[in-house]
Amino acid sequence: MRHYEIIFMVHPDQSEQVGGMVERYTQSIEKDGGKIHRFEDWGRRQLAYPINKIHKAHYILMNVESTQDAIDELTTNFRFNDAVIRNMVIRMDDAVTAESPIMKAEKESRERRSSRPERRDEPAETTETAAPETTAAAPEASGEE
Amino acid sequence: MARFFRRRKFCRFTAEGVDQIDYKDLDTLKAYVSETGKIVPSRITGTKAKYQRQLSSCIKRARFLALLPYTDQHK
Repeated sequence: MRHYEIIFMVHPDQSEQVGGMVERYTQSIEKDGGKIHRFEDWGRRQLAYPINKIHKAHYILMNVESTQDAIDELTTNFRFNDAVIRNMVIRMDDAVTAESPIMKAEKESRERRSSRPERRDEPAETTETAAPETTAAAPEASGEE
Repeated sequence: MARFFRRRKFCRFTAEGVDQIDYKDLDTLKAYVSETGKIVPSRITGTKAKYQRQLSSCIKRARFLALLPYTDQHK
């Protein structure tokens, strides 16, 4: 039994299938006595560059402990499933259960999106609070020689 | 003698005592990628060799998953 990190991207048009796919995969992993330590659904994300003329994809992240056979089955599954655009399986040293940075950012943006309509009555305040957070993301180290 | 004073470079990962750099931590990775999408050499950022190796593989993983661009010329 080893620890793996599995991440795969699903075609946005097949986004509804994600639930069923995940269920099947968890079953095949747990059948051999494996375990799911972390499961994250990042939802549809904008891609940094288009893949096959697609600009968005549904990301799923799973940290699992499973046997080699289950992982082999999973990767062949990915290969023959047209809905899966890309997948990556990495061997890890330990089980990771902490929330990933992307999921954190995703949650924050979701909260901001959901809180936006409530604040519409006072637009001055929303523009003030939103501005510094977007500019703070600029890279800090690079310019020096 | 250098005429201009240059701020001393330091390795952020050594200073913070990072164990493993995460390829999903885009805010960190973006600081080590140039505007055109290239990985910034450690002689410029001052990153220690141990972390520069981790960093480069993390950036490459993030690129494969379309979390980071390979170049700024994607269309």
